[in-house]
Amino acid sequence: MLKILIPSMFMLLTTWTSPFKQLWSTILMYSFLVATLSLTWLAMPTDTGWFYINNYMAYDPLSSPLLVLTCWLLPLMIIASQNHLAEEPENRQRTYISLLISLQIFLILAFSATEMIMFYVMFEATLIPTLIIITRWGNQMERLNAGTYFLFYTLAGSLPLLVALLIYHSSMGSLSYLSLTSLPLTCSNLYANKLWWMACLLAFLVKMPLYGVHLWLPKAHVEAPIAGSMVLAAVLLKLGGYGMMRIMIILDPLTKELSYPFIILALWGVIMTGSICLRQTDLKSLIAYSSVSHMGLVAAGILIQTPWGFTGALILMIAHGLTSSALFCLANTNYERTHSRTIILARGLQMVLPLMATWWFLASLANLALPPLPNLMGEIMIITSLFNWSFYTLILTGLGTLITASYSLYMFLLTQRGPIPHHLILLEPSHTREHLLLALHLLPLLLLIAKPELVWGWTA
Amino acid sequence: MCAWRRLHGSVRTLRGSLLRGCLSSTAATRRQPGRCGGLTLCQRLSTGGALRNDFFKDLEDQLAAMRKKAADALPGSSWMPFEINPNLPPETADIVIVGGGVVGWSIAYWLKQKERLPRGMRVLVVERDPSYSRASTVLSVGGIRQQFSLPENIYLSLASADFMRNINEHLSVMNEDPVDLQFNHSGYLFLASEEVAHIMEENYNTQRLAGAKVSLLSPQRVKENFPWINTEGVALASYGLENEGWFDPWSLLNAFRRKAISLGAIQCFGEVTDFKYTTHIRTTADEEQLETRRIKSVKVQMPNSMEYQPVECAIVVNAAGAYSGKLAEMLGIGRGPQDSIYGLPVPVEPRKRYVYVVHCPDGPGLDCPLLIDYSGVYFRREGLGGNYISGISPEEAEEPDTSNLEVDHQFFEDKVWPKLAHRVPAFEKLKVTSAWAGFYDYNTFDQNGIIGIHPLISNMYFATGFSGHGLQHSPAVGRAVAELILDGGFKTLNLKRMSFSRIFAQEPMLEQNIV
Repeated sequence: MLKILIPSMFMLLTTWTSPFKQLWSTILMYSFLVATLSLTWLAMPTDTGWFYINNYMAYDPLSSPLLVLTCWLLPLMIIASQNHLAEEPENRQRTYISLLISLQIFLILAFSATEMIMFYVMFEATLIPTLIIITRWGNQMERLNAGTYFLFYTLAGSLPLLVALLIYHSSMGSLSYLSLTSLPLTCSNLYANKLWWMACLLAFLVKMPLYGVHLWLPKAHVEAPIAGSMVLAAVLLKLGGYGMMRIMIILDPLTKELSYPFIILALWGVIMTGSICLRQTDLKSLIAYSSVSHMGLVAAGILIQTPWGFTGALILMIAHGLTSSALFCLANTNYERTHSRTIILARGLQMVLPLMATWWFLASLANLALPPLPNLMGEIMIITSLFNWSFYTLILTGLGTLITASYSLYMFLLTQRGPIPHHLILLEPSHTREHLLLALHLLPLLLLIAKPELVWGWTA
Repeated sequence: MCAWRRLHGSVRTLRGSLLRGCLSSTAATRRQPGRCGGLTLCQRLSTGGALRNDFFKDLEDQLAAMRKKAADALPGSSWMPFEINPNLPPETADIVIVGGGVVGWSIAYWLKQKERLPRGMRVLVVERDPSYSRASTVLSVGGIRQQFSLPENIYLSLASADFMRNINEHLSVMNEDPVDLQFNHSGYLFLASEEVAHIMEENYNTQRLAGAKVSLLSPQRVKENFPWINTEGVALASYGLENEGWFDPWSLLNAFRRKAISLGAIQCFGEVTDFKYTTHIRTTADEEQLETRRIKSVKVQMPNSMEYQPVECAIVVNAAGAYSGKLAEMLGIGRGPQDSIYGLPVPVEPRKRYVYVVHCPDGPGLDCPLLIDYSGVYFRREGLGGNYISGISPEEAEEPDTSNLEVDHQFFEDKVWPKLAHRVPAFEKLKVTSAWAGFYDYNTFDQNGIIGIHPLISNMYFATGFSGHGLQHSPAVGRAVAELILDGGFKTLNLKRMSFSRIFAQEPMLEQNIV
């Protein structure tokens, strides 16, 4: 564990002391090294149980896929940001990279925390670099609005969580993950207990996001620069899911009744946001709403509290992280060429950038959960466990799958097929860097088809 | 002394108001010192304010102010913590249309019309003349005809006439007045002499084939229909029966503008002074190096100010009319070595044309088409009071100076009046009541419009160079450019021949006119 964390911390130092000419290559190689080392986390001799480093940090089959995803994403973010930061002054480039690295450090600490308060502090700490990235390096004026929404939605949701954790600690004495399993809060049917339950979950539901509190996500994703969008979509949303999975243990008897409205809201959100995707004119906005849609399924899978639900949620989180990040990178390749995110102005690109069309194709297929990709595995497990709980959810989830397929195909066909407008005929050809970026996104996804045991958590 | 007393008085009132629980000192409370203690020297001479301090009314005002401030600061509103000049264009736009004349606004309207979802694209129209005092659109005579020799021009005019006849289906806005173009369907009457009569016949056939309702008249028929014409020297005449006449260009411009803005287009008054572009060097099939440019952003300068705003954009449409050539020069077109592709400028430049308003009470009267004589002179009725407007295109060698819009009245005496009076004897007795001058966006290459992308600038569409037909073709040209941008090619009218390729191949597409 420390072999990843300490090098990450020292990557900060490297950012500021490298000679400028070698900055990006150095940081890229360094972060690749860290990412490769992080793959050792996936080797777990036992299926359950924790692997300890010290008293404060540990990982287990639930957190190790997310940790590896976090570490894998940093080199990808570096590759993606290199072009649009090239014109900025030197110190700003270094600052940007430092923000990305500090984000990774906070995320590693969050996913490997053994105690809920540490998790909470790191959860909040990730907001700051993300906010700075969105509001300082975003492209449009609306980024200020987006930053405000992002910050305040998440903060307002997580303040009750702090209170709830402190209540639990003062009554039970410990918030360590080890002891959580044996210390559920005694259930007396006080209204206050139900409020406490809600307080525990609200932060994570806002972060996921759940459909009713999702407004910050399209704004933040659209206005953020590419690295910001990537990390938001791939990892920060999963913080919410991961937190929910951890805290479910202490919420036990109450969840049976109280989770009902949230499951329904999540499933309704899948359909609603899917339908919104069909009406979007802005490409990044479409991908952002599709994130909300997939995360709705994840939220429902976690709230259902069955082994298959948890497994499906975790697999879908990892697969969605890679897919969504890949789609944002593809949207960024469009944006860097045409300086516009409007879909109708960037059509018929298969004629001009045929190899990029391959990546678009693979990413769109992954988005619509094509077998045998892990996206489908996750979705099927969640849908099955929901069906087991109640037959009628099948209507919602089935409709949701249909709408997901339609908007993914719509996005692919609109951007790649069709007549190409005259102003796109002389578009810049694809760079090797862009191909590398997308290959590194989609290759892990394809490899996971062969060994999903790596990412399906301690159940199954 | 007086100030101390006043201060003392105000402290007393503040304490008093604190006791009463006022939230802050309003103007009413601040005026108390003048009345406290009867200090006549320091009494404020204000005449406003409540005589009695109404606590509840003040409270209500303050709460309303606080509510307004809170509502402003909430994320949903457009309140910004720092002041921005509201006249600046947005920082980013999808399509920037340079030129707010009738062609520019027509393109903006059609782009907004064709986007399938509302707010799908951001269309910005940049116009540098807020009063439109020098714009070619409003200074135009406003005629529309189908009597061209090129099928493209005929189709453009037919489509535009159809659009304008049903203008309220297209351009009406809810809760606003309907559009009235004052379209006089009086038709065009071309008079041909013996030498050019055959051209007129050929054109007539082309026009009929294209669907224009034109008729050929013999001089006797002309004399029967229009007795005030002197048919000496006239061998053949062609008269447009439908879809020809004149209309009010300002109404059309405003109709397009109003509708486009209601659909979401953004208007900005400013001048485009610079472009930021990226350069790419490619190898052509003949192993040559070709340098193409792609516009990244447009620098819009505010009128009479040093302020400017760079607008990041995906596409730029050059609808700048007479100044299209100068706009293209900012991108380097025309400034390269003479014999290369870079040295070929966009062949559009301003040409000044005079229009004279004359009053002739014994003139042709109401039944008066837009008459164009083979000598080049033209006139049409203006209004119902016996006024006519008239003009003539000057010779190539005598082109007037284009640095200003001053009218040369001698030109009327020397060139226009004699020919006018010859053709219509009633015009021997007339009085010039006013005159104006306007610029043609004159295409020096072949006097026909250029629609399409320039081969060297990857994302700049041109819709310019119409040389006097821009207004009458504007609705159809707008639709054509919108189809090019959004559909990837022409859908309703095939205007491929009007692209830049004819200029680079040096094959002019000339009109076979009788004038």
